Amino acid sequence: MAIGTLPAARAHARLPWRTRVREMLDRERVLGPLFITPALILIALLVAYPFCMALYFALSNAFIGRPSHFVGFRNFVNLWDADAFRQTFQNAFVFTGISVAFKLVLGISLALLLNQQLWFKRMIRGAVLLPWVIPTALSTLGWWWMFNSLYSVVNWTGISLGLLDPPGPNWLGQRHYAMAAVVTVNIWRGLPFFAITILAGLVAIPKELYEAAQADGAGPWARFWYVTLPMLKPVLAVVVLFSTIFTFSDFNIVYVLTHGGPINATHLFATYSRMIGLESGRIGEGAAVSLYLFPLLVFVVWAQLRFVRKQAY
Amino acid sequence: MRRVNRREFVATTATGLAGILAARTAPALAQAREISYLCWNNFAPASDKKLSEIGQRFSKDTGIKLKIDHISHMGPQQAKYASEVQTQAGHDLVEMRMHFPWLYEPQLADVSDVVAGLEKQYGKAISSSYEGAHVHGVWRAVPQYHGMFVCTYREDLFKKASLKVPDTWEDLYTVGKELKKMGNPVGIPISQNYDSISTAGPVLWSFGGMEVDKDGKTVKINSDGTAQTIEWYKKMFKDCMEPEVLSWSDASNNESIQQGKAGWIHNPVSAYIIAKQRKLVTADGINHHRSLGGPKGRYETDTPRHIGIWKFSKNVEASKEWIKYLLGKKETYDEYIMSGDAFNLPVYTKLTDHPVLRTDPKYAALKGEGVEYHTYGWPAPPSDKVQLITNAYILPNMIAKAVTGTSTKDSIAWAENEMKKVMAG
Repeated sequence: MAIGTLPAARAHARLPWRTRVREMLDRERVLGPLFITPALILIALLVAYPFCMALYFALSNAFIGRPSHFVGFRNFVNLWDADAFRQTFQNAFVFTGISVAFKLVLGISLALLLNQQLWFKRMIRGAVLLPWVIPTALSTLGWWWMFNSLYSVVNWTGISLGLLDPPGPNWLGQRHYAMAAVVTVNIWRGLPFFAITILAGLVAIPKELYEAAQADGAGPWARFWYVTLPMLKPVLAVVVLFSTIFTFSDFNIVYVLTHGGPINATHLFATYSRMIGLESGRIGEGAAVSLYLFPLLVFVVWAQLRFVRKQAY
Repeated sequence: MRRVNRREFVATTATGLAGILAARTAPALAQAREISYLCWNNFAPASDKKLSEIGQRFSKDTGIKLKIDHISHMGPQQAKYASEVQTQAGHDLVEMRMHFPWLYEPQLADVSDVVAGLEKQYGKAISSSYEGAHVHGVWRAVPQYHGMFVCTYREDLFKKASLKVPDTWEDLYTVGKELKKMGNPVGIPISQNYDSISTAGPVLWSFGGMEVDKDGKTVKINSDGTAQTIEWYKKMFKDCMEPEVLSWSDASNNESIQQGKAGWIHNPVSAYIIAKQRKLVTADGINHHRSLGGPKGRYETDTPRHIGIWKFSKNVEASKEWIKYLLGKKETYDEYIMSGDAFNLPVYTKLTDHPVLRTDPKYAALKGEGVEYHTYGWPAPPSDKVQLITNAYILPNMIAKAVTGTSTKDSIAWAENEMKKVMAG
C-alpha cells in the first residue's frame, strides 16, 4: 500500500550514501551489467568500430587519401578474377588444414606425455610454453635465419648428417618448400596452446573411469580410445575452434618468413589484404580480402559452439 | 601592482581555456615548435647517423625540435604512409622514393617555393627527380638525392678464372655459366621486392620492351621485347643462378656478394660500401662496372628520393625550414652527401660531378658513360598507375612465373591482364 511504503522510502533516503551504494551493488541486476560494461565499451571501440569501418571500406572503392564511393559487392566479385587471390584462398585452406591437423595430433601426444610422472615435470611444462610466450615476429625471425638460403642451419645439419644433398632445399624460394616452412613454424608456435589446454582437460578426467576400464580389461589403447578421447571432446572442440580462427587469420609468420612469396605461394588473407590495401593503396579491395571468409568463419564458430554445448549438457 | 581577486582570476582563466579549446591550438607562447620526419633505413648507415647529427644542429640553431624516425623501405614504409594519410595524423615530413608523390598527390603540400630556391642555387633538378616529384605542374616533394644501379662483381674471382667483364646481358649469360660452376652464381632477385624491378626494367628496355606506352594509358607488355626478356631470364635462372633468388629481399643480393657467394649482382654501390665499412674479407675483391646493354640500347634504373610534407601537418613552414637547412646550405648538403659514400648522390645539375665520386676509384662506373637512366615504368610518363604497377610487383611475378614453369606466352598474358586491371582501376 502506498500509505504504508512512504515512511520506508523516506527512511531509505535517509541512509548514508555508502550504505545505499553497497545495497545497490548487492543486487545482481545492477552488479552484472556494471561488470560487463567496461568489456562492452572495449569491444565496441576496439572490435565493433574497426569491423564496421572494414565493412564500409569493403563495399566502397576507397583508395588511400581520396574520396570513396559505394560500389556494393563489386570488390568481392573482382577479387575472384585475380589469380593471386584465388591462390591466397587455396593457401589459407592448405595452411590451416595441415597446421591444425598436426597441432591436434602432436598436441594430444605431448599432453599425454606431460601427464606422465616425469623428472623436472614443472620445468618441462614451463619450457613447452616458450614458443607460445616469445613474440612471434622475433621467433619467426630466428626461423627465417634457419631457412635462409645463405645461412640455413637446417640445410647445414641435413647435409652434415648425410640426409640432404648439397646445397639442400631452397626453403623460402620454392612454392612447396615455402609452404612447408610456414606450416612448420605455425605448428611449432601453436603446439604449446594445444598441449597445455589438452593437458588441463586430461587432468580433469576422473581417475575412477580409468580404474573401471582397467578392471574391465581395457588396455592402454582402449582406455585412450574409449575414455580419454570422449572425455576430451569438448576441450578439443574449443581448441580446434580457436586454432582454426587464429591460423586462418595468421599474419606474422608469413609476413616475416616469405612476405607471401614466392609468386604468392604462401600469401594468406591477412598478408594479401595488407599488400593490396596498404602497399597498393586499394583500401576497399584490401578490406574485402580480409572479410572474404567472415561468413564461413561465423558458420564454423556457430557449428562448433553448438557441438560444445551438446557435449556439455 | 593591482591585486586580482578570486572572481576575476576564475573569469580570465575560463575565457582563456575556452579560447584554446575552440581554436584547438596552444597559445603562441606555449607552442614549442616540433616537427617529425619519417625516413627509411638508408643502405649506407653512416648517412642516417649524419642526418641525426645535422638534425640536432638544426634544433639548436632554430629552436625547432626535430624528431627523426627510421623505417624499413619495403612494405612497412608504404603501410605507414597509408595509415598516416588515412588517419590524417603522424609525421610532418616523409621521405618518398620514385613516383610516390604521384600516388599521394592530394595529400602533399605544395613545396614549389623550396624547390625554386634550391634550383636557383644548384641548377635544375635532374630528370628522374623531376619525373618523380613534379606532379601536374606542382612540386609535391623536394628532390633530395638519388641512387644509381650499377653492376657489382667480384673482380678477384673474375681475374682468377680469366673471365671477361661483361658488356651486354648476353655476355653476362656467358660468364654467369662459369660463375655458377665455380660456386659463385649470378644474384639477380626474382621476387616481390624493388631490386627485382630495378633489374627487370633495364633488361626489358634493352630488349625493346616496355610495360605501358608513352601515352601512359596503353599496356604494351605483350611484345617481342618482353618475350626475349623472359627467355633471357629463363636461361639465366637455369644456368647461372640458384632458385634462392625467388625468395630474396632487397638486402639478399648484397649479403650474397658480401658473404662470398655471389660472383655478380645488379645493385647500387651499397654492397661494396657495407663490405668496406665492416671490413669484410670480400671488400677488396668487389668492384663495379658499366651497366649492361642489349639489342635496343643500354639502360639503367635511377632511384630518386624526395622529401614531402603532409598537408595535414600543422607545421608546414617549420618543415620547410628543415628541408632548407638540410639541402639549402651547400656545406651541409655536401656533408650529408659525403656521409653516404656515393650511395646517395646529389640531384641538382650543378652538383652532379660531386667530389664523393672521386673518394674511391671503384666508383668510376657511376659516371654511367653511354647509359640512359630512367625510373620505373619508363617510357610511360610518371603517374599513380605506374607506381601501382610497381607496388603490385607485376614485372617480377611475371618473370618468376616463367622461370618456374609457366610458358612465356601465358606469363606475359597474365601480366598484361594484371596491368590492364591497374590501368582501368
